[in-house]
Amino acid sequence: MATLYIDNKPYEVKAGKNLLETCLGLGLDLPYFCWHPSLGSVGACRQCAIKVFKDETDTRGRIVMACMEPVADKQRISIAHPDAVEFRANVIESLMTNHPHDCAVCDEGGSCHLQDMTVMSGHNYRRFRYNKRTFQNQDLGPFINHEMNRCITCYRCVRFYRDYAGGRDLNAFASRSNVYFGREEDGPLESEFSGNLAEICPTGVFTDKTLKEHYTRKWDLTMAPSVCQHCSLGCNTIAGERYGELRMIANRYNGEVNGYFLCDRGRFGYEFTNSDLRIRQPFISKFPVTKQQVLAEVATDIKKGKVIGIGSPRASLQSNFALKQLVGADRFFHGVSDNDHNIADLIVKILKEGPIRVASMHDVQQADAVLILGEDLTNTAPMLALAVRQAVKQQPMKKLAKANIPAWHDAAAKELLQDEKGPLFIASINTTKLDDVATATYHAAPDDIARFGFAIASCLDRSVPSVSNLPGELQSLAQRIADALSNAERPVIISGASSQTQSVIRAAANVAWALHKKNKNTGLAYTLAECNSMGLALMGGHRLNSAFDAVMNGHADTVIVMENDLYRHGKAADVDAFLNKAKKVIVFDHIVHRTVEKAHVVLPAGAFSESDGIVVNNEGRAQRYFQVYECHEPIQESWRWIVDISKFENNVGMGWEHFEGLTRTIAEAEPLLRDINRVSPPASYRIAGQKIPREPHRYSGRTAMLANINVSEPKPPVDPDSPLSYTMEGYKGLPPSSAIPFFWTPGWNSVQSVNKYQEEIGGSLKGGDPGIRLIEPNLKSTLSYFTELPEPFVPMKDHLWTVPLFHIFGSEELSVLGDAVAKRAPQHYIMINALDAAEQKLSENQELAFDVEGQLYRLPVKISTTLPKGLAGLPYGLPGLPNVELPAWLIYKK
Amino acid sequence: MGRKLLLKDINVPGIKSFEVYRKQGGYASVEKALKTMSPDAVVEEVKKSGLRGRGGAGFPTGMKWSFIDKKSEKPRYLICNADESEPGTFKDRFLMEYIPHALIEGMIVSSFALGAKTSYIYMRGEFRWIFPILEKAIEEARAAGFLGKNILGSGYDLELYVHSGAGAYICGEETAQIESLEGKRGNPRNKPPFPAIVGLYGCPTVVNNVESIAAVPHILNMGGDEYAKIGIGKSTGTKLISASGHINKPGVYEIELGLPVEEFLNSDEYCGGVWKGRKLKAVIPGGSSVPILPADLFLKNAKGEARLMSYESLADGGFASGSMLGSGGFIVMDETACIVRNLWTFARFYHHESCGQCSPCREGTGWMEKVLHRIEHGHGHMHDIDLLVDVAKKIEGNTICPLGDAAAWPVASAIRHFREEFEYHIKYPEKVMNPKHFEIEPFRSEKNLVMA
Repeated sequence: MATLYIDNKPYEVKAGKNLLETCLGLGLDLPYFCWHPSLGSVGACRQCAIKVFKDETDTRGRIVMACMEPVADKQRISIAHPDAVEFRANVIESLMTNHPHDCAVCDEGGSCHLQDMTVMSGHNYRRFRYNKRTFQNQDLGPFINHEMNRCITCYRCVRFYRDYAGGRDLNAFASRSNVYFGREEDGPLESEFSGNLAEICPTGVFTDKTLKEHYTRKWDLTMAPSVCQHCSLGCNTIAGERYGELRMIANRYNGEVNGYFLCDRGRFGYEFTNSDLRIRQPFISKFPVTKQQVLAEVATDIKKGKVIGIGSPRASLQSNFALKQLVGADRFFHGVSDNDHNIADLIVKILKEGPIRVASMHDVQQADAVLILGEDLTNTAPMLALAVRQAVKQQPMKKLAKANIPAWHDAAAKELLQDEKGPLFIASINTTKLDDVATATYHAAPDDIARFGFAIASCLDRSVPSVSNLPGELQSLAQRIADALSNAERPVIISGASSQTQSVIRAAANVAWALHKKNKNTGLAYTLAECNSMGLALMGGHRLNSAFDAVMNGHADTVIVMENDLYRHGKAADVDAFLNKAKKVIVFDHIVHRTVEKAHVVLPAGAFSESDGIVVNNEGRAQRYFQVYECHEPIQESWRWIVDISKFENNVGMGWEHFEGLTRTIAEAEPLLRDINRVSPPASYRIAGQKIPREPHRYSGRTAMLANINVSEPKPPVDPDSPLSYTMEGYKGLPPSSAIPFFWTPGWNSVQSVNKYQEEIGGSLKGGDPGIRLIEPNLKSTLSYFTELPEPFVPMKDHLWTVPLFHIFGSEELSVLGDAVAKRAPQHYIMINALDAAEQKLSENQELAFDVEGQLYRLPVKISTTLPKGLAGLPYGLPGLPNVELPAWLIYKK
Repeated sequence: MGRKLLLKDINVPGIKSFEVYRKQGGYASVEKALKTMSPDAVVEEVKKSGLRGRGGAGFPTGMKWSFIDKKSEKPRYLICNADESEPGTFKDRFLMEYIPHALIEGMIVSSFALGAKTSYIYMRGEFRWIFPILEKAIEEARAAGFLGKNILGSGYDLELYVHSGAGAYICGEETAQIESLEGKRGNPRNKPPFPAIVGLYGCPTVVNNVESIAAVPHILNMGGDEYAKIGIGKSTGTKLISASGHINKPGVYEIELGLPVEEFLNSDEYCGGVWKGRKLKAVIPGGSSVPILPADLFLKNAKGEARLMSYESLADGGFASGSMLGSGGFIVMDETACIVRNLWTFARFYHHESCGQCSPCREGTGWMEKVLHRIEHGHGHMHDIDLLVDVAKKIEGNTICPLGDAAAWPVASAIRHFREEFEYHIKYPEKVMNPKHFEIEPFRSEKNLVMA
């Protein structure tokens, strides 16, 4: 700790930080542009100027940039000194010489950091009386809009895009006041994290193009804390609505999970909620009916039939549990393929019974050595890939301390470290986007990856079964990796479900356990398939194939499928047979898919933005998403349909009425989920007797927006499930960390206001980061190493071992239904190795007919030199591409 | 007749070639250093000589060398800064074009002193035609065994490369130059860390001006103490001056530091006086970025003492009444020159060359250029003059690299000394319509008119 005198007032502050973050952390206002807590300091914008004094007697002092100066004990600084104030106003004045004065019509106006800083600096009179410089804008693809005239050249965009996220196609061009941030030519930004530019940019150069499609001032949105639904990481988001449409997803800071950023699938994947494919009313035999009619129908079906329920990895714990309760635990089935089911169970077993604490994304970022087994993170868990990109900087950063350079000094750090990268090893099926920062990579079939993992574990601990006849260079690579992991202070092993191979997951556990014997700081992280795969696995239920059997054998005749397209989880022929055999198929969902088309009864469920629910991410962190806006009648959450059905059926109900009662029931019934009623404050929670408003106090048009229908303003809906109100009235201060609908503090109208919500800059939110971890390691674990070593992969003549290849844009069911993401999805293809292509005399894009597990395909060939010989890659989950359980053998068809 | 070192043999026919240069005693310093001296001894000699950086800042070269991180196990680099782009300065170009081996010889002994095994000459992009001259000189030196492996059997290896810039003035700033050499955008770095610790490719690096490096062989040949005897006070040795503007004999001259400015301006050996018999109006003694001095303050300082061509004497009076020796870009203006127009030209240059990294310089230089453009073309307002002073003040000292200062100083000094001329432009817009307005009717101070 150090004592810092700011304008003659003493403060106890943490030593080693820079003066800017220290001042901001103390709640003082100091304007800045180029600094960002995740990007560090470069001292380019000169906006955070303050005065530093030698001692008490020094009255002149000298101007320094607060972001470039470390805190020193007994240091005396002044923010309010007239020289510093004038200097800051002057920098703004010079920035404003070329910035358009069009705030009133600018997309960013009112939520603009530049605007806030201008007001803060006091600059208010324009002395520059010349033409402003202008630029041509570029088409940067479906996600990001470009408006270069607004640029103030803070360089944050390229520093984020290139240095932080590893993108290559955005750069700074030209010089002087003509610096241009863009691509060499028009075209979509290639990085999977380009959406963050909209939040990184302190003004309106890069803005959210999907928001522009249905533009609304950000403070005119009704917002609620939400959780991303598009992969298993559970990034925290803010979802905003107006006129009954979801219009924007923004980052919601969570120090342990996603920090300041989101991936593009998470940010732009929300458009499915407004899609034409939405189910907006109940149907019986494809005819629209009323709520009462459908309730009567379903209640009768349940009373008469032998009912089974199929849950979903993309539905909340609440909905899954409600279904489980409705049909009975022994008639509840997970709606995932048996392989996925086994993998999720295996992962839960490893994490629950093993000795290693699951690594959060924050832990991965801090790791100084990383081993990835079998995952293409950029496509299966994008934000984890971003975390790994930061992890490779950790080992080189240790040199900074020796050179007396603080870690936040980005400019100096970059000069010292240049392109040095810490140890990152990737064993994956095909090349991944992280390969460019990897120390070494190994591309092989899943079983070979598993064998390689076993070999690494065996190098770490001789009691792990060793792998015989591993090629020499692979054995030495395994040794090298084992050494690098052993030398690290905080190594992390990452694997996951996407290789669809249990042995890979076991291998990762072996490596982590062997390492844990040497280093208790070892971390282990698994990714799963969907946003609530983990929650479903913790809840328990039967396998999907048993559901199929139950119907085929006549043990059941009525099927309730909840928020699930079975065609994505089972083989088309099996699902067809199952749905045809069932006497009655009842589907709850918010979107039309093949299973819905086969249903006898369809009930319109709320999408995440219209629902309350809890999902559990890959870390085992239970997180709540709140309803953003009231559903349009008769849409409602699946769990609310179920309570309505049960009331209709026997007038008794389920024993709970609302979210809270349901959550309490789950906590009581499910031992692994007993902590979930601590995830969010209860509905009765009030601060100073007030609710937390979903709308900022600047919200406008409330009395006018529905005046075309009725001039009397309707009564705002009441939310029985949460302490959030649907209006702008309510408590204006900081809400509890798990219930922050938007970031705003006086004078800070942009997302930069998040600084004021944190314990310390870049640390956890005040009151702790949201979410409750449900999985803690068993420190007295007696689990012994896995010994099931798979056989090496041997190519088979005229066959190819087909593995799924994942795509950030396209492989996920919901996001691809939105226009923006769909534009970035790849065409259908089958990828094979160049040698196999030569053998079969196939050329690029030539059509190949083949059969996998009885499923016929006819797809254009993509030739790869990185996919191992004997393997074929089939893109996973693309719309229109039939699903088949992989990996499996492909047979050529003539 | 002052002593000549660098340009001693400039008139020897064929001095560009290795044979002639060698015959004139060239490369003797390499033999002396590599065979008889330790690297530290070379540094010591340069320290003793009092040689100051000839690029403009005048920082003692020996001291700069002694900062290099000797504890680091990384390779060390020497970069010769041949990105000479300051308006009014052309001495390095002259040296490289006409006596290329002087630089090569200097590079070898300097690299030896610093322990650099690889050295670079970073040359201004516009000097395209000098590129083959230096390449050829390097090849000749290599053929003669002065470059490459095991030079002169001393066990010392050195590779020397010429790298051409792409036409950015900012790449003459040492850290921007390092960035550019690394293949990056030429934006200056924040200091610390200084290049002597973390420079090229993260390794200890020294960046020196062409003329400084070319002076090292002479220091070794005659000894540091002997070299220090040339010149006056802390301004030791000889200096190349690029004389341009309204003089009879523009060109590059080698002078002994301490030469009276009046002698340099008027003697036939040097500039040969103001041309066409006109009156001297002002002089910029050290390249476009140093403060301009009106004739009276140039010839004599505020105390009435005659000025000398030395670092100290030209700086006498600080920014109020002094200037700087800078890089030796000696620009002379007669009474027909328009200070405003000249300043506008400089402002245009600095605006064009600002790298665009930090705000005050990026936005401020363009603003100053626009204001000056308006005043010069007769559209100015009286408050524009104070605005200019204010904008310049806000740039000065507040930027990452010295380009901001270089752009601000000329503005501040021109207004300080020639404010009336600015006011004239504003008061009589019709008189300044013609770009050659002061040639038609030279500026006369109205104060004097009234008094007369």
